[in-house]
Amino acid sequence: MSLILEVVAPRLLGPAVMVAAAIIVKGYADVGDGFSAGVVVALAVALRYVTLGAERAESGLPVLRHAPALAAAGLLLALAIGFFPVAFGDPPFTHFPRPGEHVVEIGALELTTAVAFDVGVFLLVAGSLVEVIHQLTRLVEGPRR
Amino acid sequence: MLAWSAVASAAAAFVACLAGWLAGGGSVELAWAPTLGLRIDLAFDGLAALYSLLATGIGALVFAYGAGYLPWHLEHVGRPAHDAWRFWPWMVVFMGSMVGLACARDLVLLFVFFDLTAVASYFLIGFDRDRDARGAALMALLVTGVSAVALLIAAVLLYDAYGTFSLPELFERAGTGTTTTVAGVLIAVAALAKSAQVPLHFWLPRAMAAPTPVSAYLHSAAMVAAGVLVLGRVHPLLVKSDLVLDGLLVVGLVSIAVGGVLALAQDELKQILAHSTISQYGYVVTLYGIGGATAAGAATLYVLAHAIAKSALFMTAGAVTVTTGESQLSRLGGLGRRLPALAVASGVAAATLAALPLTLGFFKDELFFQAAGEHGRLVQLLAVGAAALTVAYIGRFWLGLFTGPLRARPSGGVSPLLLGPIAVLGALALIGGFVVEPFARLAEDAAEVTHVGGLDVAPAYHLDAGTENAMALAAWGLGALVLLASRFREPLVRAFARAGERVGPRRWYALSLLGLNRLSDWAHDTEVRDLRNSIAAVLVPAAALIALAFVVTPTRGSYAAGSLGADDLPIVVLLALGVAAAVTAARDRGRLRPVLALSVLGFALAGVYAMAGAPDVALVAVLVETVLTLVFVGVFARLPSASVRRPRLRARNAIIGAAAGASVFAGLWGALSRRTPAEGVAAEHIERAPGAHGGDVVTVILADFRGLDTMVEITVLAVAVVGIASLLSRGRPW
Repeated sequence: MSLILEVVAPRLLGPAVMVAAAIIVKGYADVGDGFSAGVVVALAVALRYVTLGAERAESGLPVLRHAPALAAAGLLLALAIGFFPVAFGDPPFTHFPRPGEHVVEIGALELTTAVAFDVGVFLLVAGSLVEVIHQLTRLVEGPRR
Repeated sequence: MLAWSAVASAAAAFVACLAGWLAGGGSVELAWAPTLGLRIDLAFDGLAALYSLLATGIGALVFAYGAGYLPWHLEHVGRPAHDAWRFWPWMVVFMGSMVGLACARDLVLLFVFFDLTAVASYFLIGFDRDRDARGAALMALLVTGVSAVALLIAAVLLYDAYGTFSLPELFERAGTGTTTTVAGVLIAVAALAKSAQVPLHFWLPRAMAAPTPVSAYLHSAAMVAAGVLVLGRVHPLLVKSDLVLDGLLVVGLVSIAVGGVLALAQDELKQILAHSTISQYGYVVTLYGIGGATAAGAATLYVLAHAIAKSALFMTAGAVTVTTGESQLSRLGGLGRRLPALAVASGVAAATLAALPLTLGFFKDELFFQAAGEHGRLVQLLAVGAAALTVAYIGRFWLGLFTGPLRARPSGGVSPLLLGPIAVLGALALIGGFVVEPFARLAEDAAEVTHVGGLDVAPAYHLDAGTENAMALAAWGLGALVLLASRFREPLVRAFARAGERVGPRRWYALSLLGLNRLSDWAHDTEVRDLRNSIAAVLVPAAALIALAFVVTPTRGSYAAGSLGADDLPIVVLLALGVAAAVTAARDRGRLRPVLALSVLGFALAGVYAMAGAPDVALVAVLVETVLTLVFVGVFARLPSASVRRPRLRARNAIIGAAAGASVFAGLWGALSRRTPAEGVAAEHIERAPGAHGGDVVTVILADFRGLDTMVEITVLAVAVVGIASLLSRGRPW
């Protein structure tokens, strides 16, 4: 790998997370959703693995080991958002605020349960893909540590 | 600790169920998926009370027995004590699903709980994880699970005809006719397989590979009872068709005979009891086949008395094996003097099964004879024969164990934990012989669900020369005769058992499983022998299907070529780029160049999406293309640089590729030639998106309109990741 790539690739993770956040925040009003945001983050992580090799990629960024927990949290968040209306007698996936009611906005971010669901999807996709990358590189390069 | 919390939960559930029954029941109804007509409709009525009390009450006793048995069992087979964690949770799950099944009043809910019990039983029967136990668990799951699909089909049939899954509504709406008959037959098949009735009975004897507490619970009072529970629950639907009732009657009588004769042929204790269970549930099925008020009451009392007696007998078999180390009847005998308490307690249970007076069992046969007498002379005669068989095999079991010369020496007394539950059940059966009213009331409440309309379950001792008494006397006499005439009996029952092994349904099961395995191996070998075959396995059927669609659909006017304007220039350029990239990818012999060409193709198509007004699709396409290219680059960087042997270009590949390409081309052209419908779900989605506070309709569809679909899809993703982790690193997440 070229030197430029080795320098640039690890530094792309921050911008990638920013882009992902932007996609989610704008997602409900504009192009993009939780899935795309998750893939963007996974893409930056994958680039890191390809340029640095799996060992350095993981030792330099120990936070990656929380990917499975992130995925599980995303699934639970999505489940909770989807099914908590059942407790109040509404059908599942009733989103709040309801149509016609006022939505609190912070900049471009709309505070609705649908956006929270999208965040759950994002967490699950990002966590799952990082986990898959980890498992597959382990398969190629053998167990580490 | 774990075992005792299971016991405590079962006991608490029993007290709750008892209080619920005495308070007169109640019901819960929740929307599940209202647009599909699915509701969570649970009612704690008489039938629910009977089966919940059995599941929790006998559950509590069997769990207490298991607390004493399981440590011995784990030590006996050389497994660590913490493997109890693989046992107790499933027992509790099983109990919970059984209570749920008892309360369900909706066909789909019934199916769900039905399968939950099957899944829990799979893990319980296969607890020992040796070859035998795993085969037994799979057999139980396949036989009961595959037949359970019939229940689902019946539910869909009835929903299609009458617009509801709810049983009370179906009882009102359903008429007599083919749909009702077919649905009745399908439900009966599912229920009969679960209750181990001929010809689907063979899974039950095999399931004796399970540890004894599992048999004592699942195969006396719970799993097999689930089948007759469903029969009792849907009975008002079944009576609308004489065919179904007659079928039940025949299956029940044949099961009584086959189970009884095979029970006489077995030597292993649990095998005798398993075949006896087949026979005993045959009685209940017979009663449901007879139909009417008397039979409904007799059926529920029968289930109650049988569950109490049979679980006590299973636990007796386990206790005998624990203390002597033997499980064959021919190597046991004379234990009565050494283990008097066990002999008395299990003696009462055996007498209950044989319907001797002064036990609860006497009344089950009294009602059975009464119902048979109402149905006709032939059934009456067969009923006496059935009862005689029961007396014979259960007499052989108990007398063989506790009388005669001492064979295997017990290594000490039976521990109180093993004896206690048996004694409690024996005492219950004995109390029932004197004070039958509470049991009769429970049976009556349950039977009222089965037989809508008034009925009266009032068993009592009648000291007269009535028909039932005469039938009972005849049955005992005949049974004693069969029991004593062992010289004539043995060759006959052995021959029957051998014939069953040779041409019976279990052999057909094995043969069909083998055939399916071979078919699957063949398909697997052909499909995944190499990459080319796997791709061809997708492309060839797709091409063939589209070609078939060509043949059967009219093509006039469905292929249009629109006009080309100056605005379309970017799209045309992108598509030309895509075509060039595709040709390069197919023709180039290098390693990295075809991959790069493929990604050029992907990006070109993403550009087309963006131009054609689908920015969301374009975004996802760009991301996925990038990931794929990165994966290829990452893998190629680690491949050895020496060139691998390149496969020759073969005519077969070219033909398959061309055929698939042509069919996709034609299919896409046809799709693009159709006018976009002005109205439809797409227009409605766009119209409603602002109301859901969204500007991007695709996102709104994903998160809101079709949120449940997204939920299921991401769950699939999570399951796939768990699968990858299990396969690649034994489930360690990192």
